[in-house]
Amino acid sequence: MMIQAFHLTKIHPSGVKVLDDAYFSAPEGSFVVVVGESRTGKSTFLKMLGGEEKPTSGVLKIDHKDIYHLPEPERRRWLSDVGMVFPDLKLFPDKTVEENIHFILQVKGASGDGEKEAIVQLLSRAGLAAKVQSRPADLSSGEQRMLLALRAMIFRPRLLLADEPFQGLDGKAFSTLFHFFAELNKSGSTVVVSTQQASLMEEAGKNGMGASIQWVKLENGKFLPLEAVA
Amino acid sequence: MNGFSRLFFVLKEGFLQFLRTRGLSTAVVVIVAATLLQLSLFLGLSRVLDRALVSAREKFEMAVFLSPSAEASDLKRIQDLLNSDPRVASAKLVTKDQALEEFRKDPEIDKMVQALGENPLTDSFTVALKKDASGKLDDLASRLKSDPQVEEVDYGKNEWETVANLSRIVRWVGLAVGGFIFLTALFIVSNTLTLALWARREDMILLARMGAPTWMRWGPYLWEGILQGFLGGVVVVALLEVIRHGAGPALQKYGGIDILLGLPPEEWRSLYSTLVLLGVVLGVFGAFLALQKKWVRELS
Repeated sequence: MMIQAFHLTKIHPSGVKVLDDAYFSAPEGSFVVVVGESRTGKSTFLKMLGGEEKPTSGVLKIDHKDIYHLPEPERRRWLSDVGMVFPDLKLFPDKTVEENIHFILQVKGASGDGEKEAIVQLLSRAGLAAKVQSRPADLSSGEQRMLLALRAMIFRPRLLLADEPFQGLDGKAFSTLFHFFAELNKSGSTVVVSTQQASLMEEAGKNGMGASIQWVKLENGKFLPLEAVA
Repeated sequence: MNGFSRLFFVLKEGFLQFLRTRGLSTAVVVIVAATLLQLSLFLGLSRVLDRALVSAREKFEMAVFLSPSAEASDLKRIQDLLNSDPRVASAKLVTKDQALEEFRKDPEIDKMVQALGENPLTDSFTVALKKDASGKLDDLASRLKSDPQVEEVDYGKNEWETVANLSRIVRWVGLAVGGFIFLTALFIVSNTLTLALWARREDMILLARMGAPTWMRWGPYLWEGILQGFLGGVVVVALLEVIRHGAGPALQKYGGIDILLGLPPEEWRSLYSTLVLLGVVLGVFGAFLALQKKWVRELS
């Protein structure tokens, strides 16, 4: 999905202005990493892209459509193509690891033949093969984060939004998850990740994980393009 | 997802939700069962009255008393008139001698007749009526009365109207009280299901944020309501069966209950179907009303 934002401003009810007449653009199939200090508005921006935070002013277009002015059925159709990894988007506590993944396929209308094998294979690659029948409460916080990310990717969304997805992951899990993001991106999906761990991501990019990353820094309410992150 | 997969999804998720909130589900089942038990009394009473009414209708006969001067040709004319009416099953002539013979079986009346010295009775027709004919006989009675050889027509109009009015009153009172009980139960069921929704509001929000369509978010709750209502109905049916077969003989001595217990099996089956259906309606409407709450709608 292609993202275009013009004159984007967001003022929280508390009066804090997190985006100030900002411009942002990402072509279809790009891999964007938004970096910035904490509380600079990265999460708010990702939620805006996910249709959950209406801008105070400005225009946000995805695939040339203003997602905040779509009729409800079209908005739901559009949402079925968006994967989200947000800290407050929890797992279903009563469902097993496998059911949590299977459930999202049903919600997104993407379930079909051979999905069980595909789920087991994916969980195995993510190091969760032994936890297939476990409940989220029995997973470590790192495993829960990994599962949240897998849940957002399993249905191959055309747009993946991940807010601090690497937080709490060890090195191996980090690189596994980065690989998953890169694979999804290679298949044509647009991936937008926000992180404070920019150096780790750049390292992963340098190690030939295959993604051509577009770096952006969010500072003082504006997006600043970056060549690389120190 | 195709239609079958959707149905399977709704059934499975609704059933799992039912199990997950066992406490609330049990509360709803108990409320539905208690409501249906009260309604079953009115429904049962209504059926008993229906049967009494039908039975009374079947027993009603019309008596047509003729003038003492009626001749054979008059008798034939009046009999033809009766036989040609579609509401009449049969018309039997009772001569004044036959009537007197019947009367004299009572010794007191026999003494009175002997004192009179002559037969004071007249010829008459005893008219058996077809089912559903009673209560609609005013025009036939008028036609008969207009004949100069007919003295009186008696078709139990007053008795019939009393039974019919009583039945109507019981039916309306039952409907009003039953309706009140049903609406009260609907309110309680809907609020109990709202509690279940509150307990799972995080899941509702999650589904909405994932873009789940309405049928996926609402379907399992409606199915859960149907399941709870159905189970409430089954509990009452089981209870009534136990009462009917287990405690029935002990209750026979209480007035009215013997008539209820004496209802034929097909009436009981019909009563049970009605109760289970009412349970399902209670459950599904309760769930629907819970989903209409403002805060629930705002979750989406």
